[in-house]
Amino acid sequence: MRTLIQALSLSLFSALFVFATYRLPDWLPADIYLRLDPLLGINAVFAAREVINRALWSLVIIGTTLLVGRFFCAYLCPMGASIDFLDLLFFRKKRRQGLKLETGLRRVKYLLLIVFIVAALTGLSLAFLMDPIALLTRFYTFFVYPLAVTGINLILDLVRPLFQALGWATLSHLHYFQSVYYMSAITLLIFGGIILLNRLVPRFWCRYLCPLGAFLSFLSPLGLFKRRVSEACNQCLKCQKNCPMGAIPDDPRRTLLPECIQCRTCANVCPQNAITFPASLSLGGEYSQVDLSRRGLVYSLAGGLTIGFLATQNPFTLRQGRSKLIRPPGAIPESEFLRTCIRCGECMKSCLTNTLQPCLWESGFSGLWTPKMDLRLFPCDQNCNVCGKVCPTQAIRSLSLEEKTHAKVGTAVLRKEMCLVWAQNKLCLICDEICPYNAIVFRPVEGYRRPVVVASKCNGCGFCEQRCPVKGESAIVVVPEGEIRLKEGSYVKEAKKLQLEFKPDPGDDKYIVEDSGFKIEKRKTPKEKPPSKKPKGFL
Amino acid sequence: MSEDPRAVTRRHFLKSAAGVALGMVATPRPLPAKEEYDLVVISGEPVAATQKALEAIGGISRFVKKGERVLLKPNMSFARTPEVGATTHPLVVATVAQACVEAGAEQVLVLDHTLHRAELCLERSGIREACKKIPNVHVLALQERKFFQEIKVPRGKVLERVEVMKELLKKPVLINIPVTKSHSATGVSLGIKGLMGLIWDRESFHSRYNINQALADLATVIKPHLTILDATRALTSGGPGGPGEVKKPNLIVAGIDPVAVDSYGVSLVPWYGQNFKGRQVEHLLVAHQRGLGKLDIDQIRVLKEKA
Repeated sequence: MRTLIQALSLSLFSALFVFATYRLPDWLPADIYLRLDPLLGINAVFAAREVINRALWSLVIIGTTLLVGRFFCAYLCPMGASIDFLDLLFFRKKRRQGLKLETGLRRVKYLLLIVFIVAALTGLSLAFLMDPIALLTRFYTFFVYPLAVTGINLILDLVRPLFQALGWATLSHLHYFQSVYYMSAITLLIFGGIILLNRLVPRFWCRYLCPLGAFLSFLSPLGLFKRRVSEACNQCLKCQKNCPMGAIPDDPRRTLLPECIQCRTCANVCPQNAITFPASLSLGGEYSQVDLSRRGLVYSLAGGLTIGFLATQNPFTLRQGRSKLIRPPGAIPESEFLRTCIRCGECMKSCLTNTLQPCLWESGFSGLWTPKMDLRLFPCDQNCNVCGKVCPTQAIRSLSLEEKTHAKVGTAVLRKEMCLVWAQNKLCLICDEICPYNAIVFRPVEGYRRPVVVASKCNGCGFCEQRCPVKGESAIVVVPEGEIRLKEGSYVKEAKKLQLEFKPDPGDDKYIVEDSGFKIEKRKTPKEKPPSKKPKGFL
Repeated sequence: MSEDPRAVTRRHFLKSAAGVALGMVATPRPLPAKEEYDLVVISGEPVAATQKALEAIGGISRFVKKGERVLLKPNMSFARTPEVGATTHPLVVATVAQACVEAGAEQVLVLDHTLHRAELCLERSGIREACKKIPNVHVLALQERKFFQEIKVPRGKVLERVEVMKELLKKPVLINIPVTKSHSATGVSLGIKGLMGLIWDRESFHSRYNINQALADLATVIKPHLTILDATRALTSGGPGGPGEVKKPNLIVAGIDPVAVDSYGVSLVPWYGQNFKGRQVEHLLVAHQRGLGKLDIDQIRVLKEKA
């Protein structure tokens, strides 16, 4: 029964992950697991110092945990399910002795939780490092999903001759877009490490490390359902050996309530059928306490403050908003963005073009794993606004397509010394051809028609940077200059205020645009133009 | 192609339509008894005009025989809705596809190598939706190199080799269905420029080669059996991707001579507010000089009708 619920929950988590694409319907909250996660919610609310609507969903988990106990870990947590299933696969037959440092280790998760919360209070979003839902979403995004695509394409390639022989045209040409990400390897190592720790004891992660588990443990003793052992117990200790959480102390009739995840494994293995989980209002006395130790408490408080200090008081902080990073459209102002983003990777998974990539050290430790646009790799498509839709903390605002189009992420700058037209007088116009906003125009300079960027029409989508045929670095690059980062309010209005226009402008002669801010000596209408100034391609 | 069973009719046609320079691949069937024309130009709504154009040019069965494979090449390179004018009208494509199926085509592939993300192009252009219900018609965007294969360009001046869609090598009946639009490098993008949607490395045309020469080279190896120019709308500025000025000539131009179709297309509307002739479009002039087709309007025999 429990395994079934776990499997369903993991499937739901995976399905929502798969659904997170540009086609995501508005009614489907693909990020619901991340919204429900109270640790991510608290982290974002504390760090951003304001109430985040989507994070209020986590009250559901807090409420049910207060009511029922720490059931989340055993039934809903997709990370817990992954750990359990992989445990079955790899370590089922291994003998595991248990650890001597049990009590000390158990404390680690609480101390980590304190570190994370204190760090959040200093304005540093840190919980993402170890929050199980964020961690698993990242693992899915950066490793499982690209791997799955590779696998599917490989199979398609293998059976392609068969499809061709059968004349199935669509299947013969089926190929899925292969997403690629920086930091895939790191993400795999972290996840692999978590699974390997199970070699030592079952659910090592959940027992000792998981800060979300720690948070729920604090609430758990208040829950209604508690393990009760009847007089029939003959102290065979089978329950104690089988408890995946090590929540049964030397006296098997007792229960470490904060650690118990109500998986009922003990009740199932008890030869005497002595264990039940009735509703009870008692608080469980000494066994419901969480033993932090004073020293641990002090260390973790100090640790949180120190990390918060180190990560926020450094040149990177001063450079926030002055770095070269291009953030996704709709990303709130940089310092708030860093505080609010929980690095789940959902935006990068759902990104239609794969331009969203995780940061490593580009904006310091506080920017680890935050999304940036790698426009030389891929552009940002104007028909897609999914990154904001799936952002569980709205560090990237959910915008309509119209609003998103006006959420300018930067401005393209032409590097004339590298441009084929400017530097080599070649006939190249790819940037102009691909630009969705007519922000690139050709203007006669020194006898040649050369491309020029009209800054007020460029919203930084990066099609030009990606497509530029110059080898190596692009001759046209998007820089953050002119980006619009609004915490609230309309991007359309802001863009209007700034006299920007990202719209088709039919009826105007596009091949000579005169409103780019560049000075043109004399304005001419097309009819008066000498033959050499005909539109490109005409003789 | 010498073993092509249609060789005789081709010879017959060549004789009757002297002056029309036809390529190796083109295999037209005899025209109906009436006067012969290089082009048919039909005005009307997209579906009716397309049907009428096919009829006027001698019926689709002149090009597509029972059991043959057909490759339709519309322009669906941009993720734009039809009213932007950057892509072929979905109903024009669907009408041609339907006609091919009715003529007994075994399979109709509607292919393009798109500039924007494939799914979006198929979706936004409306072409996939329009062809969804026609049996044996597959609308696909091929974005992977594995679907392309290198061929030689024996008559190429700048282009010696080019990677083209493997489907082309199976010698399907190739029907080019370009849209009428301006192009910031080549003046206009009509049928011949649209052939770039059948090759892998589009970028090299812009960066490595003189694009006008390369296009003419390409036209020596990829020769559509029929070109149906969708001039229901014309994007007369801001091309190839738009946005720009969209005019509505409400015309369908069909012909076997790819240069004649394009040249006529140039004359249909003013581009960027100016009138041009086919001769003023460099890649068309080069193609004409290579003997790929007629360029001057007064030499092109046109049948004009209303749908």
